[in-house]
Amino acid sequence: MLGMVGRAAEGFYQVCRGLWTVFKHSGRPPTTKEFPDVMPELPGAFRGRLALAVNPETGEHLCISCRQCERVCPDKCIDITAHKSPQTGKLELIDFKIDHGLCMFCGLCTEVCPTSCIINTSDFEMSEYSRGALIYDLKRLTLSQEESAYYFAKKDLPPPKPKAKPAPKPEAAGDAGESLAQQPSDVSQQPGPKAEE
Amino acid sequence: MVPEMTEELRANKLKTDEMLINMGPQHPATHGVLRLILKLDGELVKHCEPVVGHLHRAQEWQGQNRTWFQYQALIDRVDYLSGMFTSWALARAAEKIDDVKVPLRAEYMRVIVAEMNRLTSHLLWLGTFGIDLGAMMGLPFYPFREREELLDLLEAIAGQRMMFNYIRIGGVQNEAPPGWFARLFKFTGSFPDRIDEYEAILSNNPIFLKRTKAVGILPRKLAIDYGVTGPTLRASGVALDLRKVKPYSVYDRLDFAVPVCNRDGDTYDRYMCRIIEMHESNKIIRQCIEQIPGGTADVLREKRKACSACGKANCPHCGGDLAIMVKKQNAGLRVKAGEGFAAVESPRGVLGCYIISTGSDTAYRIKWRNPSFSNLAVLPELLLDHQIADIMAIFGSIDVILPDVDR
Repeated sequence: MLGMVGRAAEGFYQVCRGLWTVFKHSGRPPTTKEFPDVMPELPGAFRGRLALAVNPETGEHLCISCRQCERVCPDKCIDITAHKSPQTGKLELIDFKIDHGLCMFCGLCTEVCPTSCIINTSDFEMSEYSRGALIYDLKRLTLSQEESAYYFAKKDLPPPKPKAKPAPKPEAAGDAGESLAQQPSDVSQQPGPKAEE
Repeated sequence: MVPEMTEELRANKLKTDEMLINMGPQHPATHGVLRLILKLDGELVKHCEPVVGHLHRAQEWQGQNRTWFQYQALIDRVDYLSGMFTSWALARAAEKIDDVKVPLRAEYMRVIVAEMNRLTSHLLWLGTFGIDLGAMMGLPFYPFREREELLDLLEAIAGQRMMFNYIRIGGVQNEAPPGWFARLFKFTGSFPDRIDEYEAILSNNPIFLKRTKAVGILPRKLAIDYGVTGPTLRASGVALDLRKVKPYSVYDRLDFAVPVCNRDGDTYDRYMCRIIEMHESNKIIRQCIEQIPGGTADVLREKRKACSACGKANCPHCGGDLAIMVKKQNAGLRVKAGEGFAAVESPRGVLGCYIISTGSDTAYRIKWRNPSFSNLAVLPELLLDHQIADIMAIFGSIDVILPDVDR
């Protein structure tokens, strides 16, 4: 009989102890965040929607159509259309499609990109009404100059070399040694408007 | 003419039929899609047959069709609550074949993130275990509060909350961002108090004790026979923890205890085992932060300014033990021809990976030994002659993740 009373008292004490622990939390501010009103602060490494960066200073497109990302993508969701430019004999980007409906956001494409062109942004709100709308083309993928600067700073990426694009050019047109001084400026103008169209 | 009521007739008349009940596959408490075919005699379970395979995604087959680089990104999805461990098992198996020596700093980073992952897994288990027992409203959110803090840290270092793709063949993916170690150290300081908080709510609660004590007793021999591993096995009195028994990585340099119950474990023992493991994991993380060669990432970053992060192997701030990756991570990632097996101690038990490589960019054969599968196999024995209400208490206590069972 006494044992039963003792057990009951012990049980009552333990329940009260648990409830007191819970009660202690009643005064403090909530730890949860109301998402649409409070946006989460995402770290630089966050792997969100894919995008193509431009050079933050000059605004020229960083993609050199090397197709490394297309090759490494586990879901085969990247589709690059490029052709050899008849004037310069160099690869030229025509279209760049990413099907975000297939993408698993593994970030492998961003790791292999030699020019840090394709990056994972911090954007994760990308619901659409149709699957077709999840296929992003070059225009929707390309970031503005300010956005590129923001992500380059946030992700701590090495800044693109000032003439990242024309650099391999002299080798391709190796014979034309004397016109080297003119060529880079010539080339850097060409992909610029192409990328932004 | 009424027949005489003999003993035999009476027994036939009063006999209740066994009832066949199908529990799942879409059951909120089965942590995924598990189907249990139950034969019930009244409230008592007389026979149970788990039906697995609803979540089969051919993870092994995909490993043979994807390149090594691509497969590393996929295997976090095998056991989504402890992705670091699947990555680690694959990385260790491949490194064994490759004869790659992982730098010491990378090994410490692996232990830190893996133990953090163990904490998040146990914390989620604790919350859902409360739900399984009927503590619907309050309890789950206490562990989830700490879990969010840890997941934020893992997100900052790996890029995503649960699909990390952080531990790679040959090291780890990247260095911690600024302030990461300080945040983690602060967390480990306050975490033991938080565990005490859960314990104050749960451990001695009379309702909780009634639901868990002497429920689902798993005898030592039965556990060994079924190949049960992890906290479930240790709660039954077998001291099998790969971190102690066969120390891999840098676990032999760390001071931690493995909780082992010295009797046939019941549901409460399995609960207690995991609670103590959380304390130990916390200790391991603290020690690793103190011992890690090169100091925290911020200290190292300052030092590397002197050499402008040259990345040379003989540099005192970049190479040797202080590098974090020794294999180039790109589409051309190859593993030498050969075969190798490696196992790690995941939150659920021994997680093994067996690889046969022919030296090409894909594996010839990949085989996973997943702890959840063996742990689930013992469930029918545990459920025998238990009330139907205890099914979820017992099932919750062996901590099975269904994608890990079906792969």
